[in-house]
Amino acid sequence: MKFRCERDVLVEALGTATRAVASRGGALPVLSGVKADLTGDRLVLTGSDLDLTIQVAITVAGQQDGVAVLPARLAADIVRALGPGAVHIDAEGDEAQISSGRSEFAVRLLPAEDFPRLPETPGDEVTLDAAAFEEALKQVVRAASHDDARPILTGVLMAAEGDGLRLVATDSYRLAVRDLPGTTVLREGQTVLVPSKALGELTRVLSGAETVRLRLAERDATFEVGETKLTTRLIEGEFPNYRQLIPNTHPNRLTVGREPLLEALRRVKLLAREATPVRISLKADGIELTAITQDVGQAHEDLDAKYEGTEMVIAFNPEYLADGVEAVKGDEVTLETVDALKPAVVKSVESQDYLYLLMPVRVS
Amino acid sequence: MQWSDLVVPRCHPREVRLVIATCSVDYDGRLTAHLPLATRLLMVKADGSISIHADDRAYKPLNWMNPPCKIVEEPDRWVVSTPKGEKLTITIEEIHADLNHELGVDPGLQKDGVEAHLQELLAANCTTLAEGLILVRREYPTDIGPVDLLCRDANGAAVAVEIKRMGDIAGVEQLVRYLERLDLDGRLRPVRGIFAAQTIKPQAKVLAAARGITCVEVDYDTLRGIEKDSLTLF
Repeated sequence: MKFRCERDVLVEALGTATRAVASRGGALPVLSGVKADLTGDRLVLTGSDLDLTIQVAITVAGQQDGVAVLPARLAADIVRALGPGAVHIDAEGDEAQISSGRSEFAVRLLPAEDFPRLPETPGDEVTLDAAAFEEALKQVVRAASHDDARPILTGVLMAAEGDGLRLVATDSYRLAVRDLPGTTVLREGQTVLVPSKALGELTRVLSGAETVRLRLAERDATFEVGETKLTTRLIEGEFPNYRQLIPNTHPNRLTVGREPLLEALRRVKLLAREATPVRISLKADGIELTAITQDVGQAHEDLDAKYEGTEMVIAFNPEYLADGVEAVKGDEVTLETVDALKPAVVKSVESQDYLYLLMPVRVS
Repeated sequence: MQWSDLVVPRCHPREVRLVIATCSVDYDGRLTAHLPLATRLLMVKADGSISIHADDRAYKPLNWMNPPCKIVEEPDRWVVSTPKGEKLTITIEEIHADLNHELGVDPGLQKDGVEAHLQELLAANCTTLAEGLILVRREYPTDIGPVDLLCRDANGAAVAVEIKRMGDIAGVEQLVRYLERLDLDGRLRPVRGIFAAQTIKPQAKVLAAARGITCVEVDYDTLRGIEKDSLTLF
């Protein structure tokens, strides 16, 4: 395999494919590599940890077709470190020469025959608006769990809802629900659970794109954005019945400016260390945010707001609250509560297509 | 003469010696350091180590020498040296107190959440580890030592559980060895493994997955029925 490519193009493609490369090769050492498959002037780079696979196709000046598996992070680091201009890669036997200008590297290749054959996802292709999907993913993925001990919660539920698509994620402390009306992807009643890690990577790829093509199979989902293809295994299992968690009535309702609340939270949480919650004192004439960490200090901030309901003090994990408020669109947000120990609902005043449910923290 | 033979003459080999003295200290070794004249606590432990403390926080000594070290005591000066060529000179102006005491064998640090208690709690709440799990026996014997729990799952298959406070690779390997031994028993074979800990290190998870062992992180407070401040939706 032999080709020439502009450094910046190769850096970007390697960077994208490498994001799916296993951090440790584990049982398959070849998975610490990125597969480069050259046919004519088309180079396809593939990184995979078997759960997530990212393929990027770029146009290069091909000189000799072939397949090689480069050590992913080393190759990406080398190409990134080279000077601007053309990069030459010549892989033969068990070694690849990477050169540009007066720099030349020889790196040992991984055995290409060991690289697993990755199946194509069958199924009908659906095209979605990339910007809307990206926004929805950013609003929802944040609520997914990172705890591998509870794999179901590390996924984002995609479900048919009315005439559109609903995305749901929860880590048991908060729940994010976003509707994409008019987006038909799934059959009525069909649901799939997509790993949030894969969707997090997808949001990077979606940036600036116009459309994303989606194919869903029984065990895999494939998202194609331009020349980038991301395939992920689906998570098997029953997602929690989230509908029953959303309170039907909210006797207490706070309406507050989104940006002022975020800024106040950013300041006050400086004194909310070691899982200390931020307390919000809800009063008719406004709210007061307080954080107290023993042996460190305390922070208070008053904020103008409109509050209808029973005066109370409710406490939240400041990171989780900020995550929800940040995800809401518009200038104003509402926080609806039943009492200080029941889940609160964060929503936009302007739009009803996103809901963030957050469990308070018990304080004495 | 061995270095270990050379301890402070006044200190019995199994006693700790505490001396409160007004002294200055000079260290000469990897660097040079000087402690000006002040009243300090000099502690000579039975293992031959010496440490110099100020009355300031329960932190670490101002200076210390690890064993083996040779301590030569003169009326107004102690000279402590190690085989590496380090030298600590303690110049004593006045001794205010000097006592020896044998502390005996220390039982070690006992932390809340020790494995024994976790084992007890998990034995009483096996379903925390997997649905339908029923306890057969705690400390089930094998010829290389007892496995923490032996259980049967909902299908009647044997499940060996190894419990740690912090789950690392060594714990997984220990369970692998138990599984090998238990698999030799036709009444139990095939035996599945569950590795349970409050926290399991990523490397241990990788190894466990490669060995077909299930990892379960358990919440000690929840097992003890302690209500957490962080409320959950479900």
